[in-house]
Amino acid sequence: MLFAHRRAVPVAAAIAAIAALLLTTACGNGSSGSSGGVVHLSMLTGFTGPDEPSYQTLVKEFNDTHPDIQVTMTVEPWATVGQKLPASWATGQGPDLATPSSDPGSIFSYIKTNSVLPLDPAVGSGADQIDSAAFPPSVKAAFTVGGKLYAVPANMATLALYYNKDMFAAAGISTPPTTEDDLIADAKKLTIGAAGKPSQYGISLADNNTIQMWPVLQWMSGGDILDSNNCAAVNSAASVSALTTWSQLVAKDHISPVGQAGADADTLFASKKAAMEINGPWAAAGFKSAGINLGIAQVPVGSAGPVTLASTVPLMIERTTKHPAQAKTFLAWYTSKTAQEKFSQVSGFPPARTDLGNSTAGDPAVSVFAQALPHAKLYLAGQSVASQIDSDVYVPFIQKIERGAGVQSAADDAAKQINKLTGCKQN
Amino acid sequence: MTTNRIPTAQPARRRSARRFNSAYLFIAPSLVLIAVFIAEPIVQSGWMSLHDWMVGESSHRFVGFANYTRLFHDSRFWNALRVTVVYTLVVSVGQVVLGLAIASRLRRTTWYSTLLRTAYFFPFIASLVVVGIIWKFLLDPQVGLVDAWLAAVGVSPPAWLQSTALALPTVMAVGIWKNVGFTMIVLLASMQQVPRDLYEAAALDGAGAWRQFRNVTLPALRPALLFTTVIATVNGLQLFDLVFSMTSGGPIFHTESVVMYLYQKGFVEFQMGYASAIAWVLFVIILGISAVQLRVLRYRDVD
Repeated sequence: MLFAHRRAVPVAAAIAAIAALLLTTACGNGSSGSSGGVVHLSMLTGFTGPDEPSYQTLVKEFNDTHPDIQVTMTVEPWATVGQKLPASWATGQGPDLATPSSDPGSIFSYIKTNSVLPLDPAVGSGADQIDSAAFPPSVKAAFTVGGKLYAVPANMATLALYYNKDMFAAAGISTPPTTEDDLIADAKKLTIGAAGKPSQYGISLADNNTIQMWPVLQWMSGGDILDSNNCAAVNSAASVSALTTWSQLVAKDHISPVGQAGADADTLFASKKAAMEINGPWAAAGFKSAGINLGIAQVPVGSAGPVTLASTVPLMIERTTKHPAQAKTFLAWYTSKTAQEKFSQVSGFPPARTDLGNSTAGDPAVSVFAQALPHAKLYLAGQSVASQIDSDVYVPFIQKIERGAGVQSAADDAAKQINKLTGCKQN
Repeated sequence: MTTNRIPTAQPARRRSARRFNSAYLFIAPSLVLIAVFIAEPIVQSGWMSLHDWMVGESSHRFVGFANYTRLFHDSRFWNALRVTVVYTLVVSVGQVVLGLAIASRLRRTTWYSTLLRTAYFFPFIASLVVVGIIWKFLLDPQVGLVDAWLAAVGVSPPAWLQSTALALPTVMAVGIWKNVGFTMIVLLASMQQVPRDLYEAAALDGAGAWRQFRNVTLPALRPALLFTTVIATVNGLQLFDLVFSMTSGGPIFHTESVVMYLYQKGFVEFQMGYASAIAWVLFVIILGISAVQLRVLRYRDVD
C-alpha cells in the first residue's frame, strides 16, 4: 500500500503539472507581430457606444495610408478594459496601444507601475511627430507627469446644453438660456406638475455613473473642487453658494429628479420628460433618433464667465511593445491635422487640436462643442487620486446635498476627506 | 490459524492498493482545477493581503497586518458589513419562510400548482445581473412600469432605488423574489419524501393540520431547511451582482455590500492588498457563520 501510494503521488503530480502548464500557457496572449514586412499593432479601447464606427473609420484610414503598419482596434466595455489592462500590461501580454479608461486620471496608476512608454522622443512639429503643442493646454498638462508626456487624446469633448425646442416653445421660451440666471428661470418654468412629482422636469441632472455635470454648476459661480495647491476648494464661499442654489433647486423646486445615474438622465431627456440636459457630443445621435426636436447651445454663463467641462480619453503605448516606433507613428498620425479634421467630421466631436480654426464650423453641432474648447476645464485634472476623490467623496457629497443635507457642513466634511486623499496639510 | 488468514488477506490488500492508485488518477484533473483556480488564489490572496499590493507594480512592500488594521478603522467597510449582514438576515429568513409557506400550499400536484411552481422557480434560473437590470427599469420613477401602474391607480410612487430609506429594502425584496423558487423546490421535494403513514398516525392521535405540520413535516424537513438556510446565508454574504446592476452601491453607500466594496478597492482602484484583506475577513465571517449554523441545526444529526 505504501508502495502504491508512493507510485500514485508522482503520477498524479505529473498529470497535475502537465495540466497546470497547459492551463498557464493557454492564458498567454500574443498581441502584436510582423509578417512580410508589415507590422501589426493591436489597440484596445472602451468605445462601445455609437461613436465606435468613427474611431474604426480613422483606424481604417491609417491602415489604408500606411500599408506597412496595420492597426486592429478592439472594443470592450470600460469596466472590462479597466480590469484586464493593468495585469496584461504589467506582464507584457497586453495590446500595443490602449485607452485605459474614460477618466484621464487613470494614467497615473499605469505610469506608477512603469507600464507605458513616455512619448517625448516622438514629440515635435514634423510630419511624423506628435505635435503636442497643438493639444489643448489642459489636456497636455493632464497627460504630462514628471515633465514627460505619456498619452495623447483619443478624443476631445466638451459639454453643451441640450434642449427640447418643442418644450421651450410650449412654455413660451423662444431662445435657449445664455446666463445662469436664465438657466435657473427656464428650469423652473419648464418644471410642470405636482410639487414633488413633476410630470416634466426643467433639467435632467445626474450625480453618479456619469460625465460630471455638478462641477460645471460650481464653476459657473467661481467655485471648484480643488485649488491650485491640491487643497480642497469644495467648501469655499463660492462653492457653497453655488451648491446651495442648485441643491435647493433640486430638493425644493424639483427641477430635476434626485439620484439619477448618467443613463437615467439621458433616458429622462430622450423620453421627453425633461426639457434640458448638460451632455457631450456622444449623446446627440441618440437624442435625435428618439425624435426630439433638438437644440444644442453653449452652457450658460455665470458670474465667473464662460466655462464648461472638458472630457478626454488618454491613448497610451505599452512599455514592452515590440514596435514602439510604429506605435508612435500611429499616434502622430492620429493626432495630426488631417486625422483630427476627419474624426471631427465623422464623429461630431471637436478636434483634439487648437490649431484647426474654423475648419469644423460647417457642422453646427460640432461647432458648438468646438467653440467651448478654450474655456473648457478637465474634472480633477492631473490629480493622481482623482477616481477616489470622485467615487469616495464628491459623488456622495452631491447625493447628500440633493437630499437636503446642509451644504456648508457637508462641504466641510468633504473637504477634510479630499485633503486627506491629496495630502494637503492646509486647515 | 495464522497460515489460514494470510492467503485471504493478501488479495484484499492488493485490490485495495489498486483502487487507491486509480483513485488518484481519477481525481487528478479535479485536483489540478481546484489547486489552480481555488487553492492557489486563496493562498496568494492571503499573501497579498500582507502587502501594499498595487496591480502591475513590479515590487510590493510587505506591510504585515497593516491592511487589516486599516480595515478595522475604515467606516465604509463597517457600513458595507452592516448592509451585508442586514441583507443576509432579511433575505435568508424571508426566502426560507416564504419558500416553506409556498411549498406547503403547492404540495399537492395539480395543473394549477405545477403552473405556480414553474412561475415561482422561473426567476431562479435567470441571471442575477439580468434580474437586477430588469427590476431597475421596472422601478424607474420616471419611465418604469411599476410606478406607472401605481400612478394610474392614484398612488404616488416612491423613488424605490434613489431613496436612502427604500433602496436596501427594495434590493432585499428582489433578492427574495429571485431565490424563493429555489427554496420552494428543495423543500417541496423533501416534503414529498415524508411517509404518508406518519400523517395518518398523527391524524389518528387527533393532531390537526397545524400540529401535523409542526410535529411531522418540520422535523422531516430539517436537512432541507439546513441546506437552504446555509446556501441562502452564504449567497447573501457574497451579495454583489444585484447591487452592482441595480444601485452600484448607492445612494450614498446605502446598498454597498462587502463584495461591492472589495470590487471597488481591487478592480477600480487596483488596491489588491487591501481588497485581499477584505476578502479574507469576509471568508472568515462566512466560515464562522456557516460553522455556527451547522452546529445550531445539528448537522451530524441530519446528515
